[in-house]
Amino acid sequence: MFRAFPTLLRIGLAEAVAYRAELVIWVLTATAPLISMFIWDRVAEEGPLGGWGQGEMARYFLLALIVRHITSAWVVWELNENIRTGSLSPMLLRPMHPLVFFVAQNLSAMPLRAVILAPLIVGILWWRPELLWTPEPWTIALGLVSAVFAWAIAFAAQVIFGSLAFFSQQSLGLFNVYFGLWSLGSGYLFPLELAPEWLRQVLLWLPFRATLATPVELLAGLVAWEDALGLVAAQVVWAVVFVGLAAMTWNLGVKRHEAVGA
Amino acid sequence: MSLGVSIAALMRASLLTTMRYRASFVGEAVMAVAWAAWTTAPLFVVFDQAPTLAGWTADEALAVVGFFIIAQGVLEALVDPNLRAVVEHVRQGTFDFVLLKPLDAQLYVSLHRTEPLKLVHCLVGIGVVGYAADAVNAGPVELLSATLLMLAGLTLLHSLWTVVVSSAFFFVKVDNLSWLIRAGLDAGRWPVSLYRGLVRFVLTFVLPIGLVTTYPALALRGELKPSTGLGAMVIAVIFAGVARIAWTQSLRRYSSASS
Repeated sequence: MFRAFPTLLRIGLAEAVAYRAELVIWVLTATAPLISMFIWDRVAEEGPLGGWGQGEMARYFLLALIVRHITSAWVVWELNENIRTGSLSPMLLRPMHPLVFFVAQNLSAMPLRAVILAPLIVGILWWRPELLWTPEPWTIALGLVSAVFAWAIAFAAQVIFGSLAFFSQQSLGLFNVYFGLWSLGSGYLFPLELAPEWLRQVLLWLPFRATLATPVELLAGLVAWEDALGLVAAQVVWAVVFVGLAAMTWNLGVKRHEAVGA
Repeated sequence: MSLGVSIAALMRASLLTTMRYRASFVGEAVMAVAWAAWTTAPLFVVFDQAPTLAGWTADEALAVVGFFIIAQGVLEALVDPNLRAVVEHVRQGTFDFVLLKPLDAQLYVSLHRTEPLKLVHCLVGIGVVGYAADAVNAGPVELLSATLLMLAGLTLLHSLWTVVVSSAFFFVKVDNLSWLIRAGLDAGRWPVSLYRGLVRFVLTFVLPIGLVTTYPALALRGELKPSTGLGAMVIAVIFAGVARIAWTQSLRRYSSASS
């Protein structure tokens, strides 16, 4: 199964290159952090808010944009399409798990995404050079580990909602509701540190921040060492829960899958 | 056949299609309220930190969000579904049937696939604007000028979409482009004066969402100079004219599916 992985990555990259124009459009549609960056830059204009000045704001949202793109997945749409049209059936016959294929497809688009993002990153650095900081090695190391967990949770969440297509026609609608809650609770639209205290406390107990805010705050060096370990531990717990749920919905779904030819 | 009769007939057809799925009305209404809450949430977080921002209070910025919700509703009910259908017509070759109808093609494609259900979003948006108008003590003059400016803004949006769709005759696959523009329009949920430099210029003149959401809100506050208001309306009329020219010129280049 893992012998095929490098080949799958190559196929995925070729696919991403072939549809590069569409990829540019998809990358550019997920630029909500840019809007938030301009607004919060304005908020911090009068002076820093709880230690967040214009530099920190720009750094936070730049990293939010990057983390959003290196942890992004679109397997929910792929699964939905493949389950509805029955094109999942041949994939199930292969000696390789279909989800392995989707993981490879997802990972292999990342280099191209990085290339598309690069000019935006340069532009932001030019606009607000104050955002540059000297990171401590542990924040970067832990931040990267945390980004991997964030990706795993996001991918598993999409597999869960994608597999719901085995059971319901409304699975994409449910995913949109999840996405709406996610964008408010993950630190994508505003830094959770600056949200009202009650909201911050509620969000600590929800999975959303583990998919974005945690790696972003770590990489930006905005978290103290004591808090950092707790946040990453929460990510590990959520990753286990989400991967477990994803495996369950997938297995239950495949069992009752009755597409043409199955 | 007069214009009014045709428009009424097209609207009636869309309404009848919608009435077949009456149960979705409740679902759509619930979604509209949830979506409005989702749209306003970041605003409350921002104004929790700063009581005023570039001269805007929370209530005044709420008016901008209200106009944004209305604009999104109109976009989803009237503008986007109709014009996206044109892309499909061009790709499949059914556009010939549109041209054969004894009715102005631009008028027909602008109304033939309306989704009246999505207008529920506009009702919610009007509610939000109403609340904000009450909070800033808007009088009848302010309400009237805000309404006029909003209509000018919506004309602008429709013109923008028409230009994009006209390019379908050359590039065929432009529906992804409409997603890109919508992502840009998202910036319109905030007063345009919060942005600076190039971004503000683009949002005022290139992707003029600032005119659609901020100017009506300024009018509601009674702070829009009459000359600026008139200027906005003139720009809307110019955009509509440009859209008309883009549409007719593109039609001339259209080499039907069968020839």
